[in-house]
Amino acid sequence: MIPILVAFGVPIEYAIAASMVTIIATSSGSAASYVKERITNIRAAMYLEMFTVTGAITGATITSFIEPRLLYFFFAAFLLTSFYGLRRHVKEEIPKNVTQDRLAKWLNLQGSYYDEALGEEVNYKLTKPALGGVGMFIAGIAAGMLGIGAGAFKVSVHELVLRMPSKVSSTTSNFIIGMTALAGASVYFASGLLYLNLAAPMAIGTTVGALVGSRVLNRFTNVNLRMLFLVTVIFLIAQMLYKGVVA
Amino acid sequence: MTEKNGTKLETIISYILIGGVMLSVIIECFGLLLYYAETGDIVLSFSSEWQLSGDNFFSYSAQLFSSFIGGVSTIRIMALGIVLLMLTPFLRVIASVTYFGLRRDLTYVLITIFVLVVLTLSLAVH
Repeated sequence: MIPILVAFGVPIEYAIAASMVTIIATSSGSAASYVKERITNIRAAMYLEMFTVTGAITGATITSFIEPRLLYFFFAAFLLTSFYGLRRHVKEEIPKNVTQDRLAKWLNLQGSYYDEALGEEVNYKLTKPALGGVGMFIAGIAAGMLGIGAGAFKVSVHELVLRMPSKVSSTTSNFIIGMTALAGASVYFASGLLYLNLAAPMAIGTTVGALVGSRVLNRFTNVNLRMLFLVTVIFLIAQMLYKGVVA
Repeated sequence: MTEKNGTKLETIISYILIGGVMLSVIIECFGLLLYYAETGDIVLSFSSEWQLSGDNFFSYSAQLFSSFIGGVSTIRIMALGIVLLMLTPFLRVIASVTYFGLRRDLTYVLITIFVLVVLTLSLAVH
């Protein structure tokens, strides 16, 4: 979204600010149905939000001191790390034999949802919430700095550290993204970078897309979903490197 | 037990999310159409009339809401749409604090309050 706007001559700071608002719309619009279907793990989301929200504010605050070109390279670099991590798990439908640590037990981090593709109720346990928190803080900083949801990075943390099944991780990160984006948007609101004629049409378009996407997710298998995700990540890396070079 | 209660929280949150987003999108569409009808063009100029900005998001929202008593302007309608959109995740945090409070789940009350405080500060103090 931001690369398209920048190509049209919109200053990158304005593009970032408007896309922050757009992210609130897509996240909330699609989260509604995942939450209702119990795929999103609300407890995990609330716990992890503590870290992303603080990260997002930090990120949105320091973005005015950093050159945009560096942001693109930063984005490409962290997507590359998540790509390598997740590739190893491509064939795994649901994480097995997860032993919860004490903090995870204390935080009640487990759950179950009905998987339409598998046709059964899936039970799962999460682990290592402390490390997950650190990862989410970094994701928050990236989100605030770049005007993205940093969903790719969050999903990686959820799956590699906390051991969430793919559907739970993508819907939970999507849920958290709404909050991170609000925290980021609040900073742009205060610094006067938020423009209505940019944000309003963008919000309308992406919300419609998100509502359609959220109707079809549960029919995918977790393995196919992860493949789709990896393809998207490759595309994003290429796009960001290109933008970084020509910026 | 958790499952049943979880479902209740999940239903409340999903209604807040979908309600907020739909309302905001409808208002945005209305505002854009109205603006287009008035001017025949949607300009992408970055003048201050299009700026959504202030020191305190809550007092900005309150002023915006009360400004509709004095009359309607298309730009303020669009601003209303964005403000409602930004209030949506905020409302869902308030709903979660209330929910965990009613369930006397102290750990999660504290977690959600922390998120609420950070968000409130970021929206109100600059």
